[in-house]
Amino acid sequence: MAAAEAALKIRMAMEQLKATGVRERPLVEVLDLSHQMADAMTAFFGSLDKSIIGEFRYLADFIQQARDEISGLQANDIKDTRLPGASTELDAVVRDTERATESIMSEAEKLMNIEATDLVAYKADVDAAMMRIFEACSFQDLTGQRVTKVIAMLRHIEDRVTKFADALGVTDSAQQETAEEARKRELLLNGPAVNGPATSQDDIDALFA
Amino acid sequence: MAVDLSMPVLVVDDYQTMIRIIRNLLNQLGFKNIEEAKDGRQALEKLNGGKFGLVISDWNMEPMTGFELLQQVRASDKLKDTPFIMVTAESKTENVIAAKKAGVNNYIVKPFNAETLKGKLKAVLGEF
Repeated sequence: MAAAEAALKIRMAMEQLKATGVRERPLVEVLDLSHQMADAMTAFFGSLDKSIIGEFRYLADFIQQARDEISGLQANDIKDTRLPGASTELDAVVRDTERATESIMSEAEKLMNIEATDLVAYKADVDAAMMRIFEACSFQDLTGQRVTKVIAMLRHIEDRVTKFADALGVTDSAQQETAEEARKRELLLNGPAVNGPATSQDDIDALFA
Repeated sequence: MAVDLSMPVLVVDDYQTMIRIIRNLLNQLGFKNIEEAKDGRQALEKLNGGKFGLVISDWNMEPMTGFELLQQVRASDKLKDTPFIMVTAESKTENVIAAKKAGVNNYIVKPFNAETLKGKLKAVLGEF
């Protein structure tokens, strides 16, 4: 029985009781009307329970799934371990690169300033400087390993977030451009292109020819 | 007319390493009077406080970019004729065109080599 039908039946029974006066009606009739109301209400709550229970069950399943996915996302692991770890590794990459660059440039500047009056001494100075430049270049091995670790961390996070978004059917809402983003757009701050210059030096030269 | 190699050159970059590279290359080419600034704002102060024969500037710097510096230089009666070379990793055509419209004399995309810098200096200043 649909909810509207049950409500109509109950209303009719109530109106009938009111119209005729409950005290004047025989007990059998009142009981009969009471039964009708009880039947109608049972049917009403029965139908109500089925649809609402279904909805609640769906919501409960969805919440449980969301909890599982949030748990699987390991947000605390990402926040407390992986992102700080990536940040530390990248800081070390910057530091190692700066240190190596400083060493290489200092050696190169020393070489430029060596007086080549004594060729034997000059050769010894050049060889020693070259060895120090080779040593400094070993930073590439370490930074390569560090960057590889950061890439692995980012892939892990990407994988988790992708699974989470897919499972919950998350779609991106429209985002308003921040002041910093607007400034970057207006001042054409694009940064270096990934695979070499976006426009070659030859093409740039053609624009200035 | 020969280029005056003693003229002050202002190198603007927020990376000290890049300033050092350009300074060494300029020294090798014979330029001896090289000053440096770490962003557009500091560069503008130096330019307004002295007379420079050339500005070599990066684009991507804070708080004032090289592009903003170029616009300020070209808008200034005192500085508008100062030769200006952009040396930057900003290599999109839109960047190059915007810089050209703003009045840049030449544009070098990073990474660059000594020959490229030398070629652009000659194109802007003349033979030296």
